[in-house]
Amino acid sequence: MPIPRDERAIDRFVDRLPENPLFKFLASRILVPLWARWTPVKPLPGGPHPSFQRGDNVQCMMNLIMPLKDKSPVGRALAALAIAQNKDAIFAGLNNVGTVHFARFVIVGDNICMFSVYDGDFTNYIRDFIATIGSVFNAVVGLVEGGEKVLPCEKNVEAFIQWVHERDLYQVPDTPTDFLRDQEALNGDRAVSPVNDDLTLLPRKLVLQLRVNPNVSLGSGYRAYPGFSVAQVRKQLGLGW
Amino acid sequence: MVDEPVAKQLVEAIIGNLPEPVPGKRPVHTIGMGVKGKFVASDVARTYCVAEHFNGTPVDVSVRFSNGLGGLQQHDGWSDVRGMATRFHLSDGTGSDLIATTLGEFFVRNVEDFFEFAKVAKLEPYRRRHWLLKIADFLKLKVPPRNPYPNETESVDAGALRYANGHRFSQLGIFQVAAIGAPESYARASYHAVHTFWVTAPDEVRRPVRFSWQPVAGVRNIDAADVSHDKYLFKELEDRLNRWPARFMLMMTVGEEGDALDDPTKPWPGTRTRIAMGTLTLTEVPKDQEAAGERISFNPCRLAPGIEVSNDPILNARRCAYEVSRKMRGGCPFTWSPNNANPA
Repeated sequence: MPIPRDERAIDRFVDRLPENPLFKFLASRILVPLWARWTPVKPLPGGPHPSFQRGDNVQCMMNLIMPLKDKSPVGRALAALAIAQNKDAIFAGLNNVGTVHFARFVIVGDNICMFSVYDGDFTNYIRDFIATIGSVFNAVVGLVEGGEKVLPCEKNVEAFIQWVHERDLYQVPDTPTDFLRDQEALNGDRAVSPVNDDLTLLPRKLVLQLRVNPNVSLGSGYRAYPGFSVAQVRKQLGLGW
Repeated sequence: MVDEPVAKQLVEAIIGNLPEPVPGKRPVHTIGMGVKGKFVASDVARTYCVAEHFNGTPVDVSVRFSNGLGGLQQHDGWSDVRGMATRFHLSDGTGSDLIATTLGEFFVRNVEDFFEFAKVAKLEPYRRRHWLLKIADFLKLKVPPRNPYPNETESVDAGALRYANGHRFSQLGIFQVAAIGAPESYARASYHAVHTFWVTAPDEVRRPVRFSWQPVAGVRNIDAADVSHDKYLFKELEDRLNRWPARFMLMMTVGEEGDALDDPTKPWPGTRTRIAMGTLTLTEVPKDQEAAGERISFNPCRLAPGIEVSNDPILNARRCAYEVSRKMRGGCPFTWSPNNANPA
């Protein structure tokens, strides 16, 4: 037997307000900008969270989103060619770097993206890339907005590392509370506050953060064999190292 | 270690916050059902832990699934933590227990925190939030408190939220409780033992680990908007096991130096090594539910040789608290001894 409901029509209407197209429109065009002005939020930095622990320094994720200068099918084709024509260089280079589990170049809309999983320190990872496939990076980054400032990458190593870091997506932590701690760390807020530590504010904080970090990596990602480096996996599988 | 007077206070703090304490029954996780099955360790389990049930020989198990709330009112469709208490029956008549819930992290670090939480998170009248206040919440980009379930007139939610807002360590556990929902089946939820244990390998290497059960059928909750569901979990599991067994994988995550070994409020990163320790196959809901689950006195510190407790204060407090609760309801006694040779 269905359990009786005591809500009135106005209660049902208000409960469904977040799904109402007009409310969604007003929220995105008026409410969110207003709250962004009243409670400004800084962009959170990209890349993996720094950690000294071994398990956190293998299978690290890099998610680069790079807007193309030429936002047309021709521009996307040129980006695709830049990768396709350098396939040997990419494979040889990644084999020589030796710490890359997976790497993919992906075109999404008007962006050329690189998603990779690697071991070790981010800066060393980019340095290794510059040393082994710097020419490929020069070809690709030349097609990207703002890329000319750091080319050739072999001669602008530090600037190039910083440039890549700025385009590496913020990795939203696996737990909502760690996300709140990231915001607090950026703002220098360590004290428990009766205003800021209101858990019911989590939706607003998330919305406003995603307004300034529109592209993010959600969570640390699934790993079938977490905690193992490329070298360990290849050795265990008898693939040679 | 917590002594008996403190353990009694712990149990009384829980009972004192129940709408209707039930003599002779567990104060929380009152509603439950016992199930029988077998556990078979994976071929690598014995390389990590010398405990008997990890040596590969199939082991009989008794499992008690439960709803987290105290009292005799069964509200399967309410958002609530679920329990999965497992007794591995060892060959010498002893047992090893693994007590897990659908809550990944706990909400207090130690006994003192718990007493303070119990003072703040009291049962309070719970009513539907006025629609004008809900609109104000939406305008502030906040989510209003959930509507009360049918016949729900009291809740600890408001008090728990007040506690979370004043204690950052509790926020994750309390957030997870609020979002936990109701599973479609006891066999379609993940259960986490929360605390850190130490396992000893054949080469005497000791590792800090956390255990979780992961359902082979996958995790699935019922639609949170559908509040007509109630009293369905027992029949669902009986019908399910009449058709085919329900299986769980026992996953063991290995901690690293620097991880929170003694703090159940802190999760371990998803980048930790994860070992599949074996498969649990549940086959039968016994007719004698008293023997199958109600009379079994699980204890998180009843552990086979090869598994030890960590210094987690809550885990150690549970040893005595469970024993106090057991005595209050007349369950089978549990005597902890250093070599963990504990009678089942």
